[in-house]
Amino acid sequence: MITGGQSFVSSPPAFSHDGKKLLVCTGRTVSVFSTSTGMLITELEGHADRVTSIVVIPVAVAASKFVSYCWTSSLDGIICYWDFSVPELVKKVKVGLPIFSMVIPNVSRNPVGSNEKMSTLFAYLSVEDINKPADQHKALRGQIQIYNLTNSHRVKGLLAETLNPVFISVSKSGEYIGIPNKRKLHIWKVPGKDCKCDEIKKIKLYHTKKLSTLAFHPYERMVAGGDVTGRILIWRGFGKRKFSENLQATGKGRTTNEEERPGVRGDDDADSCATWHWHSSEIKFLFFSSDGAYLYSGAKEGVLVIWQLDTGKRKYKPRLGSPLLYFTDSPDPSLSCISCADNQIHLLKMPTMEIKKSIAGIKLPFSSPDGYKGLGSEFAYDHAAGLVALPTKDYCVQFFSLYDNLEVSEVQVCEKNFQPADDVTIYVALISLSADGFVMGTVDVKLPEERLGGLVSLKFWKHGSRMGEYSLSTVIYEPHSDAGISALAFRPGHDMAVSSSFGGDFKVWVHSSYTEDTDQMLQKSGWRCQSIGSYKKKPMTAAAFSADGSVLAVAAGTVVTLWDPDSNILVAIIGDTLSPITRLSFIGKSEYLVSSSKGSKPQLSVWSTSNLSMYWSYKLFAQDVSCTADGSQFAVLANHNSLDDTTTRDGDGVILLFDVENPVPLATWSVQKAKRGGLTFLPPNPSFHDTKCKEGKDTSLLLYINGDHEYVIFDPHSSEENQIRRNAQKSQAPPEEAVRFGYASIYGELPDISLKKEQIPEIPFVPSERPWETIFSGSSHVLPPLTKLCSAFLASLLEKRPSGNE
Amino acid sequence: MAADPSKPLFPVESSHHPKPPSRKPQTLTAESKFWRSFKNSELASGLILPVTALEFSPVPPHDLAAASSAAVYLFDGATLSPKPFSPLSSFSDVAYSPSFRCDGALLAAGGESGIVQVFRLDRAGHALRRLRAHARPVRLVRYPRVADKLHIFSGGDDALLSYWDVPSETQVLSFPGAHHDYIRAGSPSPVSSEVIATGSYDHTVKVWDVRVSSNANPVLGFSHGAPVESVLFLPSGGLLATAGGNCVKIWDVIGGGRLVHTVEGHNKTVTAMCLGRMRNNESSGRGGGESRLMSVSIDGYLKIFDFAAYKITHSMRYPAQLLSVGFSPSGLARVVGTSNGTIYMGKKKMKEKEGDIFGAKVVSEFDTFAPGPVKHVLRPNFRYFRRGQNEKPQETDYIVKRAAKVKLAEYDKLLKEFRHKDALVAALNQKNPNSIVAVMEELVARKKLLKSVVNLDTDELRLLLGFLHKYATMPRYARFLMGLAKRVLELRAEDIRSKDELKGYVRNLKRMIAEEIKIQHSLQEIQGMISPLLVIAGR
Repeated sequence: MITGGQSFVSSPPAFSHDGKKLLVCTGRTVSVFSTSTGMLITELEGHADRVTSIVVIPVAVAASKFVSYCWTSSLDGIICYWDFSVPELVKKVKVGLPIFSMVIPNVSRNPVGSNEKMSTLFAYLSVEDINKPADQHKALRGQIQIYNLTNSHRVKGLLAETLNPVFISVSKSGEYIGIPNKRKLHIWKVPGKDCKCDEIKKIKLYHTKKLSTLAFHPYERMVAGGDVTGRILIWRGFGKRKFSENLQATGKGRTTNEEERPGVRGDDDADSCATWHWHSSEIKFLFFSSDGAYLYSGAKEGVLVIWQLDTGKRKYKPRLGSPLLYFTDSPDPSLSCISCADNQIHLLKMPTMEIKKSIAGIKLPFSSPDGYKGLGSEFAYDHAAGLVALPTKDYCVQFFSLYDNLEVSEVQVCEKNFQPADDVTIYVALISLSADGFVMGTVDVKLPEERLGGLVSLKFWKHGSRMGEYSLSTVIYEPHSDAGISALAFRPGHDMAVSSSFGGDFKVWVHSSYTEDTDQMLQKSGWRCQSIGSYKKKPMTAAAFSADGSVLAVAAGTVVTLWDPDSNILVAIIGDTLSPITRLSFIGKSEYLVSSSKGSKPQLSVWSTSNLSMYWSYKLFAQDVSCTADGSQFAVLANHNSLDDTTTRDGDGVILLFDVENPVPLATWSVQKAKRGGLTFLPPNPSFHDTKCKEGKDTSLLLYINGDHEYVIFDPHSSEENQIRRNAQKSQAPPEEAVRFGYASIYGELPDISLKKEQIPEIPFVPSERPWETIFSGSSHVLPPLTKLCSAFLASLLEKRPSGNE
Repeated sequence: MAADPSKPLFPVESSHHPKPPSRKPQTLTAESKFWRSFKNSELASGLILPVTALEFSPVPPHDLAAASSAAVYLFDGATLSPKPFSPLSSFSDVAYSPSFRCDGALLAAGGESGIVQVFRLDRAGHALRRLRAHARPVRLVRYPRVADKLHIFSGGDDALLSYWDVPSETQVLSFPGAHHDYIRAGSPSPVSSEVIATGSYDHTVKVWDVRVSSNANPVLGFSHGAPVESVLFLPSGGLLATAGGNCVKIWDVIGGGRLVHTVEGHNKTVTAMCLGRMRNNESSGRGGGESRLMSVSIDGYLKIFDFAAYKITHSMRYPAQLLSVGFSPSGLARVVGTSNGTIYMGKKKMKEKEGDIFGAKVVSEFDTFAPGPVKHVLRPNFRYFRRGQNEKPQETDYIVKRAAKVKLAEYDKLLKEFRHKDALVAALNQKNPNSIVAVMEELVARKKLLKSVVNLDTDELRLLLGFLHKYATMPRYARFLMGLAKRVLELRAEDIRSKDELKGYVRNLKRMIAEEIKIQHSLQEIQGMISPLLVIAGR
C-alpha cells in the first residue's frame, strides 16, 4: 500500500537549527526535506492524525551540531519528541485534546548542549474542547492551555477561551505569546521560572475589525496584527504599564496624556498604533525580519509584501502564483521559505527574494464554477509512467508521479496571468492522455462576461523528450462552436481522438502531417477534423473507444451510439437509461460496456455489445469508473449519499470491485472524502512486487485519489497490505556539504595561508676566523647602523662555546 | 544558482484567431547578398534606341562596348565612364553585335548594312577592315575566344555563316544556307578556337567546326523549339545554353546534343544571356567564385541561374524590357540594356577603397619619416565616459548576463496595474484590431469589460464606436464584437442620445449592419443553390 499526495501547507513548516533541513507537516507524518536539493530525506511516522506544529530545539554549542531534536503536536492529542536526524521517537506526551497549535516559548532559553541544568519546558497549547457540543452557536471550543513537558502534566487553569482553536504566536525571545481573538489581540508575558495561569500578566489590544494574525518584533516591544480586511496594525511599546516590573512606572504611565499615543484605541496599553493598508483580503501571515527592519506580509493576492518598518515603504515579490499561507525564516540569514495554498513551499534566497527551490506537492482541488462542468473525472493517467495529470488553478496541468510522490512537471495550458484574488473565469476543464501517453488533449474554458466573449479551446500536445514534458501541437478554438466539450478520448493504437459536445455533435480528429510552402518543404503536422457525427441532435455526454480501437461509443443523452470511427457510420444503438449517461467505458477487451449516469436517478449499467442490450445495472451514484486494461473487472467509486446509509458522514464513499459476469461485487472498500475523487487501475509495476506474487493472476493495482487529492495505491486482489512498498527508503539524503556563511558564501573559500614562515633552508656559512676584522670594513653608508653592528662585534669577540654536536 | 522559476508575465494575446503564420524570416542567402551588393544606377549615355548588345573586354580593365542605334559606345571598365573616342560611329545604319578580340585590342561589329567592321580601340579613327559578304544585316559577329587573333565568325539574316581571315579581308569558309532562317545568335567555344554554335529563328541550334570540310554540314544540330535569341557556351565547353521563347535550355554538346535542363523562370521571351562569376573581395583572385548564368527577358526580369545546382538563385526586376546583359569579368560591374536605350548598371565599389588602403600602407612603410601618432590630450569628453563599453567578451571570459528586459506594450503595463479602462483606451488608440480584441478578451476574463465600457467618457466612447464600426463585421472578430456592440449601445444609450457627434457613429453602425445583413442574405442564397448540388455529388 502506497500513500501519498499529502498537503504540505496544512501547517507552517520549520527549519532545522542549521538551516539545511526543512520539516514539513504532511498529514500524519513530518517530512524532512533538504533545503539544498528540495528532496525528501526522511519521514517521522508516529502520529495518528494530522500534525499541526513543529518546534525545533535550538542548538547552542557547535560541538553538538549533529544533534537535532524537535517537538511536534498533532490533532490526536499527543505531543512527540523526536530525534529527526536518525529519525527516532524519543518521548510521547499525551494531552488528550486535539492540539491545533503549540508553542514552547522558553525553548530557546535552554538549548541543547548547554551545560546549564535543563529548566522546565512549558508548552502553550491551543486545543479544541471536544466535550462541548459542536452545533451550539456560542460554545467556546478553543482553549489555551499550558502543559509542563518535562514532567508531562498539565498546569491547572486556562489562559483563555476562544470560539474556535486559534494559532498562537510567540516572540523570538520567547518573552511574549499572543493570539488573535475576534477584534482583539491577547498578549501574555511569559514568566521566567514557573507557570501559574492566574499569575501570568495579560493585556488586550483592540481593533474594529476581526484580527486574523499577529507577529512580534524580534527585540523591540512591538506587535503587528493583521485583520480580515487586509489592514496591518502596528502597536509600538505595548504593555509598558502592565508588563513593567516596578509599579512606579505604571503610575507614570497612567498620567501620560492621551494625545501622546496616536492611533491607540481607548485604554489600550501601547504607545502608538499605526495602520498600513495594501492587501485587499485577509492577511494570512505577518513576519518581522530577524534584524527587525522589515515586516513581511502575505495574503490572497499571491504577492509577498516587504514593509520597511521605519518608513512604511513597500517592496513586492509578485507572481508567486497562489495565495500565501505561511512565512518561515531559517537560522541561515540568506534562506527563508514561503508556503503557498497550491501545496508548494518556495525556498527563497533572501535579500533578492529569488526562488531557489520549490517543494511541490500534488495540486489541491479547486472549485470550478458551476456553469460548466466536465462530467467525467478531472484526472488523467499516464499508466505506463505512473503519472497522474490534474488541472491546477493557475491554468496549468500538473504531472505528479504516483509512485515517487513527487511533482514531475507542470505544463502551462493557457498563457494568461493568474490572479489568485479574482474569481475563476478561465480553467482547464478536461485533460485526456492517449494510452501510450504520447499525446495529451486539454480543453480550457473561458467563461463569458454576461454572455459575451466566452471561449472553449481544445489543445493537442505532443510528448517531449522528458517525462511529463509536452509541447503544444494544435489549438482549436471553439471546436463545437460555443458548446462545451463533455468528453475527449483517444483511440488506442491510432492518431485519432474524439471530442463530444453538449451541442449535439461529436468530432473525430486525426493527426496528419502535410507539407507546405513548396520551395521550403516545411513539414508541418497538426490535428484536423476528419468527421462530424450527431444523433438526433441530442447532447453528446460521453465518449470512449474500445480497447482495440475498432468501435467508438458515444453517449447521446440516455442511449449509447456505436460508430465505426474510420468511416463515421452509425453501427448500432443500445438501449435506454433513466438519466443522461455521463461516463462510458469499455471493460477490458471484453464485449461489455459500462456506463454511469448521475442526476436524480443515478444508474450504473453494464451493456453487452454482442446482443445490444443491458446486461445488469444498479441504482448507484458512481463518482468514477475504471476498468482493467485486459481483464474483465472494473471498479466503481460510489457515493454513500445514494445508498441508504445515514450513519456515515457526508462525502464518504465506497469502492466496489465487480466482475462483468457477476453483479455481486468481488470486494468493497469504504473510503472517506469520495466526492470528486478518482479511481484507476495501474499496470503492475515490477519493482514493487516480490517474485512470489507473480503467479499468473491479475496483478494490476488500484489507485484511489480522494477529494483532497490524497491517494492510496493497493492491490485489490490480496488482503495482505504490506505487499507493495514504495521503493523509497533509498536514502535521498544529500551529501553533507560544508555550510558557507558570510565571506565564504560570496567569494568562496580562502586559500590556506600558512602562518608559519616559509622554511628557507639555512645556508650554511663558515664564519671567518676573525669576524671583528671584517665587520666594520666597507664604506659607511653601506654599513648597518652602529647599534646593530656593535652587538655583533661584541659577540664576535667573545669566545664561542663549542656547540652540542660533539 | 537556479533560475527563478516563478512565472513570467504573459502579455495579452488575442485567442480568437491564431497569429498569421509567421513569414519565413527574410534571411538573405549569401547568394542574394552578393547580388544585392551592387550599387544600381543608370549609365548616362543619352540613348533612345534599343541597346541590342553589351560586351565586356576580356582583358583588364574590361572595357564595355554597347551597341545602340548606329554606333558602338565604349566605356571605361574601371569607372564605367565613356571613353574619349566613344562612340564609334562609322556605321551607315544600325550597329549590331560588338565583339572584342581575345587581347582586347580590336573590336569587330556587324550592322544593318551587312558589313562587318573591325576597329582599333587605342585611338579613334575609321575602321581598320571592312568585311563584305553578307547581303542582309549581320547580327552575329564573334571573335574566337581562345588565342586566335586572325579570324572572325559572322552570321546574318541571309542565313549565311562566314569564317573570315581578318588581315586579308577574305572569307576562309562560308556556309551558305547554314540555317533556314535568320541567324541571330552564336557563341564561340571557350575551349577551341575553331568551334562555334549558332542559333537561328528556324528554332535550331547548330555547332560548326571550321576544321571539318565546308560541305555545309554542322557537327551537331538540335532544335530548341522556339526562335533562338541567344546561345552561350558554358565555361567547360561541354554544355551549351540556348535561349528562345520564354525558356532557357541547357544542352550537353559532348553527349550529342542531349537536353540536360530547362529553365522556365521567365514570363516572356528571353533575349540575352551572359556568364557571371560570383567573386567576393576575399576571393578576388583569378578563378575564384562560382559561375552563374544570367538571363534577361522582355518581361523585365534578370534571373541568375546556378547551372551546377539547376536552380534560380536570384532574380531582379527592372522597369523596362531587357534586351542585353553583360557582366564584367572583374566581377565588379553588371550592366543591363533595355529597349528604350537605358543601360542599368550595378557596380561594386569595394575595389577602390581596398586599393586606397593598400596604397596608404605602402607609403607609410616606405617613408623614411613617419610622424608619430598625435598624442591625445585626456579630456573628459563623451567618448571618455563610454570607453570600454563596446568591448567584446573573449572566449575565456565569464559573461554575467543581465536579465533580458521584457518589453511590454502600454496596455500590458496598464493591465498589470489593474487600470482596466485605461488599458482599453490605450489599445483603442493604437488602432491595431488584434491587440484591441486581445485586451477586450483579457478584460472579459477579469470580468471588467462592461465596467470599463460604462466608464468611458465621450471621446473614448467615440473611439470605441469607430472601432466597432470598422471591425464588428470582420468574420474573425464578428462573433465577439457583434455582441459587444449591442451591449455598448444598450449601456450607453443615454449618452449617445444626448450627444450629436456620437449619433453619427451609430448611424454608421446601422448602415454597416444593413450591409452585413444583405451580404448574409446573398450568402444564404448561394448556400441554398450549392447544397443540392453537394448532396447530388455526395451520392
